[in-house]
Amino acid sequence: MVKVFRWWWGILLAFSLLAVSRVFLPLPFINEIVIFSIYTLGCSFLLGRVGLISFGQPAYLAVGAYATAFYLFYFGTNPYIGILLGVLAGLVVSFIVGPLFVRLRSDYFALVNLALAVIVFYLMQKVLAGITHGDNGLWILTRISSTPVLDLSRPDQFFIFALLVALAVWAFYKYLDDSIYGACCLATKINEDKLKFLGYSNYSVRLLAFVIANTTTALAGAMYAVYLGFVSPEITSPARAADPVIVTILGGVGTLYGPIVGAFAYTGMKDVISKLIGNWELFIGFLLVFIMLAGEKGIWGTLQPLLEKLLFRKRVTTGTADSEEAHL
Amino acid sequence: MDAQLLISGVIFGLSIGGIFFLMAIGLSLCFGLMRIISLDQLLYYSIGAYITYSFSLATGSVWLGVLAGCVVAGIVAFAVERLIFRRIYERELTFSMITSFGILIGGIGVIKYFWGVVPRPVSVPTMTQFDIAGTEVPVYRLIVVAIAFLVYAGIWLFLNRTIIGKAIRAGIEDVEHVEGLGINVSRLFTITFIIAGTLSGLAGGLHAPLIMVDPQMGLEVLAFVFMVVIIGGLGSIKGTLVSAFIVGQVVSLGSILYAPLAQMAPFAIMLVILLIKPTGLYGSALLKR
Repeated sequence: MVKVFRWWWGILLAFSLLAVSRVFLPLPFINEIVIFSIYTLGCSFLLGRVGLISFGQPAYLAVGAYATAFYLFYFGTNPYIGILLGVLAGLVVSFIVGPLFVRLRSDYFALVNLALAVIVFYLMQKVLAGITHGDNGLWILTRISSTPVLDLSRPDQFFIFALLVALAVWAFYKYLDDSIYGACCLATKINEDKLKFLGYSNYSVRLLAFVIANTTTALAGAMYAVYLGFVSPEITSPARAADPVIVTILGGVGTLYGPIVGAFAYTGMKDVISKLIGNWELFIGFLLVFIMLAGEKGIWGTLQPLLEKLLFRKRVTTGTADSEEAHL
Repeated sequence: MDAQLLISGVIFGLSIGGIFFLMAIGLSLCFGLMRIISLDQLLYYSIGAYITYSFSLATGSVWLGVLAGCVVAGIVAFAVERLIFRRIYERELTFSMITSFGILIGGIGVIKYFWGVVPRPVSVPTMTQFDIAGTEVPVYRLIVVAIAFLVYAGIWLFLNRTIIGKAIRAGIEDVEHVEGLGINVSRLFTITFIIAGTLSGLAGGLHAPLIMVDPQMGLEVLAFVFMVVIIGGLGSIKGTLVSAFIVGQVVSLGSILYAPLAQMAPFAIMLVILLIKPTGLYGSALLKR
């Protein structure tokens, strides 16, 4: 029992904090944070655990969002089926492009993904304009039917749903981190040859990680579609391609709660700073440079050892990534 | 497709290709020698364009503006190299990619602070038309192509005929040996970075009269420049030239055939080339040191 509690308490604490912040933060803001942190989690897993940096996450976000929107716009009205279809579409697409992409070296991987994002953008904006209505986007808000339990067309109930989904996703990723597969992922980042020597295939470890991460991203896309009730090519625009990478770095690369902290900080700063000086790029850009120069641990990566020291009077290790690398 | 459209399309593609080449050469050199991916070259491109705009308003001559743009871009590149890149050469590739992206975003913020978000027009220095087989072609575009080839020749001479250039070429092969020969590698890095920044500034200055100058212009060409570098092969200058003109032609002729093709076709080509030859057309199997 104690063991089970110890495994769960971090996640439960994080999400109860999120749930409590609902009381004093505006609802759209907190909804945005929950979805954004799911979006970032995929990128954070790829970058921090497997060592693949991707500037093309919006492509997979768009796949999820458009699959959901197509279903809701042309076929049915049930938002749950729409989200399920979005996730499935993400799974299928990442299984198609994954085998081609994960063979590439990490720098090329980043750029090929960026290329995919641009292709998806123009596909949705121009080529398939007949179905996607181009820049006008698909308006599905009025087509979402209300369901008896957890009515997704209402923002306050959507928040509960999003929170539950995020909880499940986080539990899944924590499970992955603890499993042998999670150790394999870290090993393929740090020492490919050694992993090969141990009898694992680098290629299949990476492929699975790619599929998991991008399916998560597609889930975030599907949730965006239902929450906003509107999908346009704007979500995959190349100018926003680096958002998840920035949030990942901001929160702390490869940490479990980094995406939540990062999404909180990023969305919050964007709101506050654009109100104050209307020029948040300046701030975000130099903050990013500063974090990178100061040791790329990010907000959560810096806070975590301090918190542990405070809560458990633990001896502070040099940081999560290092200590786990030492385990290998 | 009639001949007139084709000829003007080819010339348009050549001039775009020339500008892509000038920008991509900086990225390519930086990757080859320092093993960094320097996304902030796109910031020097925007700076070059904005200084050209301000100077041409103040003095009335666009050419003077382009010159000033080059100089200022070179100075900014020097400062950034000294302050930031100096500290991250030893780190892995993705690290420099993220840091330089931060510099790019921050720099766009600075540009917005000084010049605002409204797109600015820059007048074309020469409006004369040149007659090729019955098609009127703007001379300015031909000048841009000529400058691109001059720069290629200059870079070639610099790398093959001067001591510093030879040291840079040797550094691309093996930087430790160059250091062992007693050559100051860190100064070599600085020189290369300033050259890269200046050429990006030149690209911005030359591109400014052809488009509107706006703060996001760096992000708009980002994907294309990357494509040029990747198709050509990171670190190869000849490959950069070839692929810049390929991409320029694909963008220009593609848009004549079917408008959305202009943006998509180059990416499709890049995907195919990468999947067939993952190091690009002329790239060698360079590994991270």
